[in-house]
Amino acid sequence: MKLLSYRLSSSSLKPIALMVLALTTHSAVAEDWTWHGFLSQGLIQARDSNFVNNDGDASARLTEIGVNSVYKIDNDLKVSGQLMYLNGGNRFVDGVRIDYLFLNWTPYNTLDWQLDLYLGRFKNMHWAYSSTRDVALTRPLIVLPQSVYFDSFRDIAVGSDGLAVRSTHNLAIGELEFIWSWGATPVSRDMSRRVISTDVLGETDQKFVHQASAYWRPSESQMQWGLSLLDSDFSYRKAELDHYFDGDFTVQRTMFNWRYSAEHWELTSEIMQERVNVKGFIFPQLVRNQFAQGTFLLARFDWSEFTSWYLSYDYFIANKDDPSGSQLPLTSGGFIPSYFGYQRDAAISVDHEVAENFRLKLEYHWIEGTGRLGPNVVPDVVVNQHRTHDIWALQLLYWF
Amino acid sequence: MPFFARTQEPPSAPLVIVHSSVNIKQLSHAQLRSIYMMRQVLWPDGTAIKVFVLPNRSELHLQFSRQQLQLFPYQLDRVWQKLTYSGTGTPPTEVADSAKMRELVASTPGAIGYIETGNEITELQIVLIQP
Repeated sequence: MKLLSYRLSSSSLKPIALMVLALTTHSAVAEDWTWHGFLSQGLIQARDSNFVNNDGDASARLTEIGVNSVYKIDNDLKVSGQLMYLNGGNRFVDGVRIDYLFLNWTPYNTLDWQLDLYLGRFKNMHWAYSSTRDVALTRPLIVLPQSVYFDSFRDIAVGSDGLAVRSTHNLAIGELEFIWSWGATPVSRDMSRRVISTDVLGETDQKFVHQASAYWRPSESQMQWGLSLLDSDFSYRKAELDHYFDGDFTVQRTMFNWRYSAEHWELTSEIMQERVNVKGFIFPQLVRNQFAQGTFLLARFDWSEFTSWYLSYDYFIANKDDPSGSQLPLTSGGFIPSYFGYQRDAAISVDHEVAENFRLKLEYHWIEGTGRLGPNVVPDVVVNQHRTHDIWALQLLYWF
Repeated sequence: MPFFARTQEPPSAPLVIVHSSVNIKQLSHAQLRSIYMMRQVLWPDGTAIKVFVLPNRSELHLQFSRQQLQLFPYQLDRVWQKLTYSGTGTPPTEVADSAKMRELVASTPGAIGYIETGNEITELQIVLIQP
Protein backbone atom coordinates (compact mmCIF):
# COMPACT_ATOMS: atom_id res chain seq x y z
CA MET A 1 0.00 0.00 0.00
CA LYS A 2 1.26 3.44 -0.83
CA LEU A 3 2.11 5.95 1.81
CA LEU A 4 -0.43 8.60 2.74
CA SER A 5 -1.06 10.78 -0.27
CA TYR A 6 -0.67 14.24 1.18
CA ARG A 7 1.65 16.84 -0.23
CA LEU A 8 1.88 20.49 0.56
CA SER A 9 3.89 23.07 -1.31
CA SER A 10 5.70 25.84 0.53
CA SER A 11 3.24 28.40 -0.87
CA SER A 12 0.28 26.51 0.56
CA LEU A 13 2.02 26.12 3.93
CA LYS A 14 2.39 29.85 4.44
CA PRO A 15 -1.29 30.70 4.97
CA ILE A 16 -1.68 27.58 7.12
CA ALA A 17 1.21 28.70 9.29
CA LEU A 18 -0.42 32.10 9.74
CA MET A 19 -3.68 30.46 10.70
CA VAL A 20 -2.01 28.09 13.14
CA LEU A 21 -0.24 31.06 14.68
CA ALA A 22 -3.60 32.74 15.16
CA LEU A 23 -5.06 29.52 16.57
CA THR A 24 -2.33 29.12 19.14
CA THR A 25 -3.36 32.35 20.79
CA HIS A 26 -6.41 32.16 23.00
CA SER A 27 -9.85 33.30 22.00
CA ALA A 28 -9.71 37.05 22.47
CA VAL A 29 -12.85 38.66 23.76
CA ALA A 30 -12.98 42.42 23.86
CA GLU A 31 -16.10 44.51 24.23
CA ASP A 32 -16.49 45.11 20.48
CA TRP A 33 -14.17 42.52 18.95
CA THR A 34 -14.44 38.72 19.27
CA TRP A 35 -12.19 36.00 17.83
CA HIS A 36 -12.81 32.26 17.54
CA GLY A 37 -11.37 29.40 15.52
CA PHE A 38 -11.02 25.70 14.95
CA LEU A 39 -8.51 23.19 13.68
CA SER A 40 -9.18 19.60 12.69
CA GLN A 41 -7.04 16.98 11.03
CA GLY A 42 -7.90 13.44 10.16
CA LEU A 43 -7.21 10.34 8.16
CA ILE A 44 -9.70 9.08 5.64
CA GLN A 45 -9.89 6.20 3.20
CA ALA A 46 -12.59 5.82 0.56
CA ARG A 47 -12.00 2.42 -1.00
CA ASP A 48 -13.22 1.65 -4.54
CA SER A 49 -14.43 5.19 -5.26
CA ASN A 50 -13.09 8.63 -6.22
CA PHE A 51 -14.66 10.27 -3.13
CA VAL A 52 -11.29 11.33 -1.63
CA ASN A 53 -8.71 10.32 -4.24
CA ASN A 54 -8.50 8.19 -7.36
CA ASP A 55 -6.29 5.42 -5.96
CA GLY A 56 -8.41 4.57 -2.92
CA ASP A 57 -5.48 4.80 -0.50
CA ALA A 58 -5.67 6.22 3.02
CA SER A 59 -5.12 9.96 2.97
CA ALA A 60 -4.56 12.85 5.35
CA ARG A 61 -6.60 15.09 3.08
CA LEU A 62 -9.07 15.79 5.86
CA THR A 63 -8.04 19.20 7.11
CA GLU A 64 -10.26 22.07 8.23
CA ILE A 65 -8.75 25.18 9.78
CA GLY A 66 -10.57 28.43 10.37
CA VAL A 67 -10.31 31.67 12.25
CA ASN A 68 -13.17 34.14 12.50
CA SER A 69 -13.96 37.49 13.99
CA VAL A 70 -16.97 39.67 14.70
CA TYR A 71 -16.52 43.43 15.09
CA LYS A 72 -19.40 45.34 16.65
CA ILE A 73 -19.60 48.77 15.01
CA ASP A 74 -22.75 49.67 16.90
CA ASN A 75 -25.46 47.81 18.83
CA ASP A 76 -27.28 47.12 15.55
CA LEU A 77 -24.34 46.88 13.12
CA LYS A 78 -21.60 44.25 12.96
CA VAL A 79 -18.98 42.97 10.52
CA SER A 80 -18.22 39.23 10.51
CA GLY A 81 -15.59 37.31 8.62
CA GLN A 82 -13.97 33.88 8.54
CA LEU A 83 -10.80 32.75 6.81
CA MET A 84 -10.54 29.02 6.17
CA TYR A 85 -8.15 26.44 4.85
CA LEU A 86 -9.77 23.23 3.60
CA ASN A 87 -8.31 20.09 2.13
CA GLY A 88 -10.70 17.26 1.34
CA GLY A 89 -9.00 15.67 -1.67
CA ASN A 90 -11.48 15.22 -4.51
CA ARG A 91 -14.38 16.30 -2.27
CA PHE A 92 -13.88 20.03 -2.75
CA VAL A 93 -11.31 22.58 -3.92
CA ASP A 94 -8.41 22.76 -1.48
CA GLY A 95 -6.76 25.95 -0.28
CA VAL A 96 -7.38 29.14 1.66
CA ARG A 97 -10.66 30.99 1.15
CA ILE A 98 -12.77 33.74 2.63
CA ASP A 99 -15.57 31.58 3.96
CA TYR A 100 -17.78 34.54 4.82
CA LEU A 101 -17.44 38.30 5.12
CA PHE A 102 -20.59 40.33 5.61
CA LEU A 103 -22.22 43.32 7.21
CA ASN A 104 -25.00 42.38 9.66
CA TRP A 105 -27.61 45.07 10.29
CA THR A 106 -30.31 44.48 12.93
CA PRO A 107 -33.05 47.03 12.18
CA TYR A 108 -35.59 45.48 14.53
CA ASN A 109 -34.85 43.68 17.80
CA THR A 110 -37.68 43.41 20.30
CA LEU A 111 -38.49 40.72 22.84
CA ASP A 112 -40.82 38.94 20.38
CA TRP A 113 -39.42 39.81 16.95
CA GLN A 114 -35.86 39.91 15.70
CA LEU A 115 -34.96 40.97 12.18
CA ASP A 116 -31.45 40.72 10.68
CA LEU A 117 -30.06 41.67 7.27
CA TYR A 118 -26.78 40.26 5.94
CA LEU A 119 -24.95 41.88 3.03
CA GLY A 120 -21.80 40.38 1.51
CA ARG A 121 -20.59 36.77 1.44
CA PHE A 122 -22.77 34.81 3.88
CA LYS A 123 -23.24 31.12 4.65
CA ASN A 124 -26.24 29.11 3.47
CA MET A 125 -28.54 29.24 6.52
CA HIS A 126 -31.41 27.26 5.02
CA TRP A 127 -30.68 23.59 5.80
CA ALA A 128 -30.07 21.77 9.09
CA TYR A 129 -26.25 21.70 8.82
CA SER A 130 -25.57 23.99 5.84
CA SER A 131 -24.22 27.07 7.62
CA THR A 132 -21.39 25.20 9.34
CA ARG A 133 -21.02 22.05 7.21
CA ASP A 134 -17.28 22.64 6.93
CA VAL A 135 -16.74 23.15 10.68
CA ALA A 136 -16.05 19.69 12.04
CA LEU A 137 -17.17 20.32 15.62
CA THR A 138 -20.65 21.38 14.49
CA ARG A 139 -21.19 18.31 12.28
CA PRO A 140 -22.69 15.10 13.58
CA LEU A 141 -20.64 13.08 11.08
CA ILE A 142 -17.26 13.54 9.43
CA VAL A 143 -18.97 12.85 6.09
CA LEU A 144 -22.49 14.30 6.07
CA PRO A 145 -25.35 12.52 4.24
CA GLN A 146 -24.50 13.07 0.58
CA SER A 147 -28.10 13.04 -0.67
CA VAL A 148 -28.52 16.53 0.81
CA TYR A 149 -24.92 17.66 1.50
CA PHE A 150 -23.31 16.58 -1.78
CA ASP A 151 -19.62 17.39 -1.27
CA SER A 152 -18.85 17.96 -4.97
CA PHE A 153 -21.37 20.79 -4.85
CA ARG A 154 -20.13 22.06 -1.48
CA ASP A 155 -18.25 25.11 -2.74
CA ILE A 156 -21.32 26.37 -4.58
CA ALA A 157 -23.94 25.44 -1.96
CA VAL A 158 -22.06 26.54 1.15
CA GLY A 159 -22.77 30.26 0.78
CA SER A 160 -23.41 33.15 -1.56
CA ASP A 161 -22.35 36.68 -2.36
CA GLY A 162 -25.53 38.73 -2.03
CA LEU A 163 -28.24 39.64 0.47
CA ALA A 164 -29.97 37.54 3.16
CA VAL A 165 -32.73 38.34 5.64
CA ARG A 166 -33.66 36.43 8.79
CA SER A 167 -36.77 37.12 10.84
CA THR A 168 -37.66 35.31 14.08
CA HIS A 169 -41.00 35.59 15.87
CA ASN A 170 -42.19 34.38 19.27
CA LEU A 171 -45.89 33.57 18.93
CA ALA A 172 -48.47 31.62 20.98
CA ILE A 173 -47.99 28.62 18.67
CA GLY A 174 -44.23 28.67 19.17
CA GLU A 175 -41.23 30.14 17.45
CA LEU A 176 -41.32 30.91 13.73
CA GLU A 177 -38.23 31.71 11.71
CA PHE A 178 -38.10 32.89 8.10
CA ILE A 179 -34.92 33.14 6.06
CA TRP A 180 -34.61 34.54 2.56
CA SER A 181 -31.49 34.98 0.47
CA TRP A 182 -30.46 35.98 -3.03
CA GLY A 183 -26.95 35.88 -4.48
CA ALA A 184 -24.43 33.88 -6.48
CA THR A 185 -21.10 32.12 -6.02
CA PRO A 186 -18.09 32.58 -8.34
CA VAL A 187 -17.43 29.17 -9.94
CA SER A 188 -13.81 28.35 -10.73
CA ARG A 189 -12.82 25.78 -13.34
CA ASP A 190 -11.59 23.51 -10.57
CA MET A 191 -15.08 23.63 -9.01
CA SER A 192 -16.70 22.94 -12.42
CA ARG A 193 -14.53 19.86 -12.83
CA ARG A 194 -15.86 18.45 -9.55
CA VAL A 195 -19.49 19.25 -10.37
CA ILE A 196 -19.91 18.95 -14.16
CA SER A 197 -17.12 16.90 -15.71
CA THR A 198 -13.44 16.26 -15.05
CA ASP A 199 -12.46 17.53 -18.51
CA VAL A 200 -14.37 20.83 -18.84
CA LEU A 201 -12.33 23.65 -20.39
CA GLY A 202 -14.94 26.42 -20.60
CA GLU A 203 -16.34 28.88 -18.06
CA THR A 204 -19.19 28.13 -15.65
CA ASP A 205 -21.21 30.93 -14.12
CA GLN A 206 -23.84 30.76 -11.41
CA LYS A 207 -26.32 33.40 -12.56
CA PHE A 208 -28.21 33.43 -9.26
CA VAL A 209 -29.33 31.31 -6.34
CA HIS A 210 -32.58 32.27 -4.67
CA GLN A 211 -33.52 30.51 -1.43
CA ALA A 212 -36.27 30.78 1.18
CA SER A 213 -36.96 28.70 4.25
CA ALA A 214 -39.31 28.59 7.23
CA TYR A 215 -38.81 26.85 10.56
CA TRP A 216 -41.38 26.18 13.26
CA ARG A 217 -40.50 25.16 16.81
CA PRO A 218 -43.85 24.51 18.54
CA SER A 219 -44.33 25.70 22.15
CA GLU A 220 -43.83 23.06 24.86
CA SER A 221 -42.33 20.72 22.29
CA GLN A 222 -38.89 19.38 21.49
CA MET A 223 -39.62 19.14 17.78
CA GLN A 224 -38.60 21.38 14.94
CA TRP A 225 -40.13 21.44 11.47
CA GLY A 226 -38.64 23.15 8.45
CA LEU A 227 -39.27 23.76 4.76
CA SER A 228 -36.71 25.19 2.36
CA LEU A 229 -36.83 26.07 -1.33
CA LEU A 230 -33.96 26.73 -3.74
CA ASP A 231 -33.85 27.97 -7.33
CA SER A 232 -30.59 28.47 -9.18
CA ASP A 233 -29.43 28.92 -12.78
CA PHE A 234 -25.99 28.21 -14.22
CA SER A 235 -24.48 28.67 -17.65
CA TYR A 236 -21.51 27.00 -19.34
CA ARG A 237 -19.67 28.78 -22.16
CA LYS A 238 -17.39 26.46 -24.05
CA ALA A 239 -13.73 27.16 -24.67
CA GLU A 240 -12.48 27.62 -28.23
CA LEU A 241 -11.38 23.99 -28.35
CA ASP A 242 -13.73 22.02 -26.09
CA HIS A 243 -15.32 18.57 -25.85
CA TYR A 244 -18.57 20.21 -24.79
CA PHE A 245 -20.99 22.85 -26.07
CA ASP A 246 -22.59 25.92 -24.54
CA GLY A 247 -25.13 24.83 -21.94
CA ASP A 248 -27.61 26.07 -19.36
CA PHE A 249 -28.47 24.33 -16.12
CA THR A 250 -31.32 24.90 -13.68
CA VAL A 251 -31.38 23.37 -10.19
CA GLN A 252 -34.52 23.63 -8.05
CA ARG A 253 -34.74 21.98 -4.66
CA THR A 254 -37.65 21.52 -2.26
CA MET A 255 -36.73 20.16 1.13
CA PHE A 256 -38.42 19.36 4.43
CA ASN A 257 -36.56 18.82 7.63
CA TRP A 258 -37.51 17.56 11.06
CA ARG A 259 -35.77 17.13 14.39
CA TYR A 260 -36.75 15.66 17.74
CA SER A 261 -34.52 16.32 20.73
CA ALA A 262 -34.57 14.28 23.94
CA GLU A 263 -32.18 14.72 26.83
CA HIS A 264 -29.75 11.98 25.78
CA TRP A 265 -30.73 11.24 22.19
CA GLU A 266 -31.88 13.06 19.08
CA LEU A 267 -33.31 12.26 15.64
CA THR A 268 -32.83 14.46 12.58
CA SER A 269 -34.17 13.92 9.09
CA GLU A 270 -34.22 15.86 5.84
CA ILE A 271 -36.04 14.86 2.68
CA MET A 272 -35.60 16.59 -0.64
CA GLN A 273 -36.59 16.59 -4.29
CA GLU A 274 -34.28 18.33 -6.75
CA ARG A 275 -35.12 19.19 -10.34
CA VAL A 276 -32.08 19.35 -12.61
CA ASN A 277 -32.71 20.73 -16.07
CA VAL A 278 -29.90 20.59 -18.64
CA LYS A 279 -30.07 22.35 -22.01
CA GLY A 280 -27.19 21.81 -24.40
CA PHE A 281 -23.72 21.10 -23.02
CA ILE A 282 -23.33 17.45 -24.13
CA PHE A 283 -24.77 18.26 -27.58
CA PRO A 284 -26.53 21.48 -28.59
CA GLN A 285 -30.04 20.02 -28.95
CA LEU A 286 -30.07 18.20 -25.59
CA VAL A 287 -32.94 18.99 -23.21
CA ARG A 288 -32.95 16.81 -20.09
CA ASN A 289 -35.31 17.31 -17.17
CA GLN A 290 -34.82 15.02 -14.21
CA PHE A 291 -36.08 14.88 -10.63
CA ALA A 292 -33.66 13.50 -8.04
CA GLN A 293 -34.84 12.52 -4.57
CA GLY A 294 -33.00 11.95 -1.32
CA THR A 295 -33.51 11.55 2.38
CA PHE A 296 -31.57 10.69 5.51
CA LEU A 297 -32.37 9.75 9.08
CA LEU A 298 -29.69 10.45 11.64
CA ALA A 299 -29.81 9.31 15.27
CA ARG A 300 -27.54 10.49 18.08
CA PHE A 301 -27.28 8.75 21.43
CA ASP A 302 -25.21 10.09 24.33
CA TRP A 303 -23.47 7.09 25.85
CA SER A 304 -21.93 9.23 28.58
CA GLU A 305 -21.12 12.85 29.35
CA PHE A 306 -18.14 12.64 26.99
CA THR A 307 -19.11 10.04 24.39
CA SER A 308 -21.85 10.03 21.73
CA TRP A 309 -22.80 7.49 19.10
CA TYR A 310 -24.38 8.30 15.73
CA LEU A 311 -26.24 6.10 13.27
CA SER A 312 -27.27 7.33 9.86
CA TYR A 313 -29.04 5.98 6.81
CA ASP A 314 -28.95 8.06 3.65
CA TYR A 315 -30.78 7.26 0.40
CA PHE A 316 -30.49 9.04 -2.95
CA ILE A 317 -31.92 8.37 -6.40
CA ALA A 318 -30.80 10.46 -9.36
CA ASN A 319 -34.07 10.05 -11.28
CA LYS A 320 -37.34 9.40 -9.45
CA ASP A 321 -38.72 7.64 -12.53
CA ASP A 322 -35.78 5.22 -12.61
CA PRO A 323 -34.84 4.46 -8.96
CA SER A 324 -32.70 1.44 -9.86
CA GLY A 325 -30.83 3.32 -12.61
CA SER A 326 -31.76 0.61 -15.12
CA GLN A 327 -32.30 3.16 -17.91
CA LEU A 328 -28.83 4.69 -17.53
CA PRO A 329 -26.89 2.06 -19.56
CA LEU A 330 -29.57 2.22 -22.27
CA THR A 331 -29.65 6.00 -22.60
CA SER A 332 -25.86 6.37 -22.41
CA GLY A 333 -25.01 3.69 -24.96
CA GLY A 334 -23.59 1.48 -22.21
CA PHE A 335 -21.28 4.25 -20.99
CA ILE A 336 -22.89 4.71 -17.52
CA PRO A 337 -23.65 1.65 -15.34
CA SER A 338 -27.01 1.46 -13.54
CA TYR A 339 -25.44 1.92 -10.08
CA PHE A 340 -24.81 5.60 -10.92
CA GLY A 341 -28.57 6.04 -10.59
CA TYR A 342 -28.70 5.69 -6.80
CA GLN A 343 -26.68 5.71 -3.57
CA ARG A 344 -27.47 4.11 -0.20
CA ASP A 345 -25.17 4.87 2.71
CA ALA A 346 -25.34 3.28 6.17
CA ALA A 347 -22.97 4.95 8.64
CA ILE A 348 -21.91 4.55 12.25
CA SER A 349 -19.83 7.11 14.11
CA VAL A 350 -18.60 7.76 17.62
CA ASP A 351 -17.05 10.85 19.16
CA HIS A 352 -15.31 11.34 22.45
CA GLU A 353 -14.18 14.52 24.19
CA VAL A 354 -10.61 13.72 25.09
CA ALA A 355 -10.03 17.05 26.83
CA GLU A 356 -11.71 20.44 27.04
CA ASN A 357 -12.24 21.67 23.44
CA PHE A 358 -10.62 18.54 21.99
CA ARG A 359 -12.72 15.82 20.37
CA LEU A 360 -11.87 12.60 18.58
CA LYS A 361 -14.23 11.13 15.96
CA LEU A 362 -14.20 7.72 14.32
CA GLU A 363 -16.58 6.79 11.52
CA TYR A 364 -17.45 4.08 9.01
CA HIS A 365 -19.76 4.21 5.95
CA TRP A 366 -20.93 1.24 3.91
CA ILE A 367 -22.22 2.47 0.54
CA GLU A 368 -24.05 0.90 -2.36
CA GLY A 369 -24.34 2.88 -5.60
CA THR A 370 -22.31 5.81 -6.90
CA GLY A 371 -25.07 8.36 -7.59
CA ARG A 372 -23.53 10.93 -5.22
CA LEU A 373 -19.93 10.73 -6.37
CA GLY A 374 -18.75 13.67 -8.42
CA PRO A 375 -18.83 14.90 -11.08
CA ASN A 376 -22.58 15.08 -11.38
CA VAL A 377 -23.31 15.73 -15.07
CA VAL A 378 -20.67 13.48 -16.68
CA PRO A 379 -19.81 10.83 -14.06
CA ASP A 380 -16.35 9.41 -13.56
CA VAL A 381 -16.90 5.87 -14.84
CA VAL A 382 -13.16 5.18 -15.07
CA VAL A 383 -12.46 5.28 -11.32
CA ASN A 384 -15.92 4.41 -9.99
CA GLN A 385 -16.16 0.85 -11.28
CA HIS A 386 -17.59 -0.72 -8.13
CA ARG A 387 -21.25 -0.87 -7.13
CA THR A 388 -20.32 -1.06 -3.43
CA HIS A 389 -17.63 0.92 -1.70
CA ASP A 390 -16.87 2.18 1.79
CA ILE A 391 -15.28 5.00 3.78
CA TRP A 392 -13.58 5.05 7.15
CA ALA A 393 -12.32 8.21 8.80
CA LEU A 394 -10.68 9.37 11.99
CA GLN A 395 -10.54 13.04 12.95
CA LEU A 396 -9.14 15.07 15.85
CA LEU A 397 -10.80 18.43 16.47
CA TYR A 398 -9.78 21.49 18.47
CA TRP A 399 -11.71 24.72 18.78
CA PHE A 400 -11.67 27.95 20.77
CA MET B 1 -20.76 5.56 32.81
CA PRO B 2 -23.59 5.49 30.28
CA PHE B 3 -26.76 7.48 30.70
CA PHE B 4 -29.88 5.36 31.10
CA ALA B 5 -32.41 7.10 33.29
CA ARG B 6 -32.65 10.03 35.64
CA THR B 7 -34.81 9.47 38.67
CA GLN B 8 -33.99 12.61 40.64
CA GLU B 9 -36.77 14.99 41.63
CA PRO B 10 -36.47 18.22 39.65
CA PRO B 11 -35.15 20.98 41.93
CA SER B 12 -36.68 24.47 42.02
CA ALA B 13 -36.10 26.55 38.91
CA PRO B 14 -33.05 28.83 39.17
CA LEU B 15 -33.73 32.54 39.57
CA VAL B 16 -33.12 34.80 36.60
CA ILE B 17 -31.23 37.93 37.61
CA VAL B 18 -30.44 41.17 35.77
CA HIS B 19 -28.37 44.27 36.43
CA SER B 20 -30.21 46.88 38.49
CA SER B 21 -30.41 49.25 35.48
CA VAL B 22 -32.50 46.79 33.42
CA ASN B 23 -36.12 47.87 33.49
CA ILE B 24 -37.70 44.43 33.01
CA LYS B 25 -39.78 42.68 35.69
CA GLN B 26 -40.93 39.60 33.80
CA LEU B 27 -40.22 37.61 30.66
CA SER B 28 -41.83 34.62 29.00
CA HIS B 29 -39.88 31.38 28.52
CA ALA B 30 -39.79 32.14 24.78
CA GLN B 31 -38.40 35.65 25.35
CA LEU B 32 -35.77 34.32 27.75
CA ARG B 33 -34.90 31.65 25.18
CA SER B 34 -34.44 34.34 22.50
CA ILE B 35 -32.01 36.13 24.79
CA TYR B 36 -30.03 32.96 25.58
CA MET B 37 -30.01 31.90 21.94
CA MET B 38 -28.34 35.30 21.35
CA ARG B 39 -30.98 36.48 18.89
CA GLN B 40 -32.42 39.11 21.21
CA VAL B 41 -29.44 41.38 21.77
CA LEU B 42 -31.03 44.62 23.01
CA TRP B 43 -33.28 45.48 25.96
CA PRO B 44 -36.38 47.55 25.04
CA ASP B 45 -34.52 50.77 26.01
CA GLY B 46 -31.77 49.99 23.46
CA THR B 47 -29.12 48.87 25.95
CA ALA B 48 -27.05 45.89 24.78
CA ILE B 49 -27.82 42.64 26.60
CA LYS B 50 -24.79 40.97 28.15
CA VAL B 51 -25.48 37.27 28.67
CA PHE B 52 -23.64 35.20 31.29
CA VAL B 53 -23.72 31.40 31.62
CA LEU B 54 -22.21 28.78 33.87
CA PRO B 55 -20.11 25.94 32.42
CA ASN B 56 -22.02 23.44 30.35
CA ARG B 57 -21.62 20.62 32.86
CA SER B 58 -22.72 22.62 35.90
CA GLU B 59 -25.86 21.22 37.57
CA LEU B 60 -27.30 24.74 37.87
CA HIS B 61 -26.83 25.34 34.15
CA LEU B 62 -28.61 22.05 33.43
CA GLN B 63 -31.56 23.08 35.66
CA PHE B 64 -31.69 26.55 34.12
CA SER B 65 -31.62 25.18 30.57
CA ARG B 66 -34.31 22.58 31.21
CA GLN B 67 -36.68 24.54 33.43
CA GLN B 68 -36.34 28.16 32.34
CA LEU B 69 -35.31 27.79 28.68
CA GLN B 70 -37.01 24.43 28.11
CA LEU B 71 -33.95 23.30 26.20
CA PHE B 72 -31.18 20.80 26.88
CA PRO B 73 -27.65 22.19 27.24
CA TYR B 74 -26.48 20.46 24.05
CA GLN B 75 -29.17 22.33 22.08
CA LEU B 76 -27.89 25.64 23.44
CA ASP B 77 -24.32 24.62 22.63
CA ARG B 78 -25.31 23.82 19.07
CA VAL B 79 -27.00 27.21 18.63
CA TRP B 80 -23.97 29.05 20.02
CA GLN B 81 -21.53 27.08 17.83
CA LYS B 82 -23.66 27.74 14.77
CA LEU B 83 -23.71 31.47 15.53
CA THR B 84 -19.99 31.54 16.26
CA TYR B 85 -18.84 29.71 13.12
CA SER B 86 -21.33 31.21 10.67
CA GLY B 87 -20.65 34.75 11.88
CA THR B 88 -24.29 35.47 12.69
CA GLY B 89 -23.73 36.02 16.40
CA THR B 90 -21.45 35.69 19.37
CA PRO B 91 -21.73 33.17 22.20
CA PRO B 92 -22.47 34.23 25.80
CA THR B 93 -19.73 34.81 28.34
CA GLU B 94 -19.03 31.77 30.49
CA VAL B 95 -18.25 32.32 34.18
CA ALA B 96 -16.74 29.83 36.59
CA ASP B 97 -19.37 29.68 39.33
CA SER B 98 -22.46 31.30 40.88
CA ALA B 99 -20.45 33.76 42.98
CA LYS B 100 -18.73 35.11 39.86
CA MET B 101 -22.09 35.17 38.06
CA ARG B 102 -23.62 37.36 40.82
CA GLU B 103 -20.61 39.65 40.85
CA LEU B 104 -20.55 40.16 37.06
CA VAL B 105 -24.31 40.59 36.64
CA ALA B 106 -24.30 43.16 39.48
CA SER B 107 -21.44 45.14 37.95
CA THR B 108 -22.25 44.95 34.19
CA PRO B 109 -24.97 47.25 32.79
CA GLY B 110 -27.45 45.26 30.67
CA ALA B 111 -26.34 41.93 32.16
CA ILE B 112 -28.50 38.83 32.66
CA GLY B 113 -27.67 35.59 34.47
CA TYR B 114 -29.09 33.03 36.91
CA ILE B 115 -28.50 31.80 40.45
CA GLU B 116 -29.86 29.17 42.82
CA THR B 117 -33.09 29.89 44.67
CA GLY B 118 -32.80 30.82 48.35
CA ASN B 119 -29.94 33.27 47.80
CA GLU B 120 -30.05 36.69 49.42
CA ILE B 121 -30.59 39.23 46.63
CA THR B 122 -28.91 42.58 46.90
CA GLU B 123 -27.80 44.94 44.12
CA LEU B 124 -29.61 42.71 41.62
CA GLN B 125 -33.09 42.42 40.17
CA ILE B 126 -35.02 39.19 39.87
CA VAL B 127 -36.98 38.66 36.65
CA LEU B 128 -40.13 36.57 36.90
CA ILE B 129 -40.32 33.93 34.14
CA GLN B 130 -43.85 33.09 33.03
CA PRO B 131 -45.25 30.65 30.46
